[in-house]
Amino acid sequence: MSLLAALSISPGAGEPIYRQLMEQIRRLVAGGQLAPDTELPSVRELAQALAVNPMTISKAYSLLELEGVLVRRRGIGMAVAAGPASQAAQAERLQLLRGTLERAAREAHELGLPADAALTLFAQLLEQHP
Amino acid sequence: MTSPAITVNGLHKSFASQRVLINLDWQVQPGRIVGLLGRNGAGKSTLLETLLGLHQPEFGDIRLLGDAPAAFSAGTLARIGYVPQQTELFEWLTTQQLLDYFAGFYPRWNHERCNALLDRWQIAREQRISKLSVGTRQRLSIVRALAHEPDLLVLDEPVSSLDPLARRDFLRELIGDVLDRQTTVVLSTHILSDLERVAMDVAFLHQGRIQLQGALDQLQEEVRRVHAPAATLQQLGIRPLRGGAPDSDSVIARLSEQQLALLQTKPDALLTPVSLEDLFDEVTA
Repeated sequence: MSLLAALSISPGAGEPIYRQLMEQIRRLVAGGQLAPDTELPSVRELAQALAVNPMTISKAYSLLELEGVLVRRRGIGMAVAAGPASQAAQAERLQLLRGTLERAAREAHELGLPADAALTLFAQLLEQHP
Repeated sequence: MTSPAITVNGLHKSFASQRVLINLDWQVQPGRIVGLLGRNGAGKSTLLETLLGLHQPEFGDIRLLGDAPAAFSAGTLARIGYVPQQTELFEWLTTQQLLDYFAGFYPRWNHERCNALLDRWQIAREQRISKLSVGTRQRLSIVRALAHEPDLLVLDEPVSSLDPLARRDFLRELIGDVLDRQTTVVLSTHILSDLERVAMDVAFLHQGRIQLQGALDQLQEEVRRVHAPAATLQQLGIRPLRGGAPDSDSVIARLSEQQLALLQTKPDALLTPVSLEDLFDEVTA
């Protein structure tokens, strides 16, 4: 799959762009859309494609390397690691969903929705997006 | 550590009785893209124009690439690119005549890049400048500044008349310059979404000074809107970014790691991220 097509930046979200990129790449790796050994676009390529400062891309790549999600290959650039990060256990993958669900939970509280109504909606959404 | 691309110390500038810049200090490190932010009338253009030697400061020391504006050498001038807010180009010339004229001043004029940009941005070469639309003039002004491959690029609201696609294309050109030549870029704009994409640092001009400057990533991580009882805010020493004491139980504050960790243990404290627009509002209101 093309990473360039899968990534999207939302300025104005209050979240640094390097973090947005890290989260999206982590998800794609954990979910298997980015298989181990897949080569990532160069910093230059991704910076130009997303119209984002190259230092932001480098920062995201370097931190993902520290986390073990990516590996730096001499002469090639960054690739998806073959290690445990890419075959994340279900518990780890679930952890990646936590932030989104925490936000949803807070909004449900603010809207005064009962838990079962919110859960029913979530179940419906899961079925619509198999 | 290399020397800063821009250093300003104790800069004062007034027009008649109006004090615009008051004891302003500022530094811009080389190879960075810095966003200059401020309300209308805050003095962003005055600051940039004074840096470039277009206004005489009352007091203060300014260095651009190591040189004072009053004594810019031809060599230093050739290394600085400038896109003014109002493009007062030579109305009677055609696009091509104007660019030929400027090419004569600059040893590093890149004809190939200039031509490629004219083609890509569809700027008619034989059209008189007086007949060009505002957006096209703005693009021409950008071509003129990029074509001589400056080491320091000063952009004063360069894209206010451009559509989103043209702006995106312009950002890519800037990114290319930073990648290829470590160009230092100072960009004043009200289009915060563009700035967020390309700026490593932001500087807020307010009440004649740079009130806040920092790496954008870091500001986004440290600044939070905090809802908490006034007693908690006081206990943790949390002060609003705009200064003064907290005036309600909701403040926008720059938090230390320790303050952040402590707040996260308080069940009655709520932390939410702050967008660049909120930050702008907080610092410049």
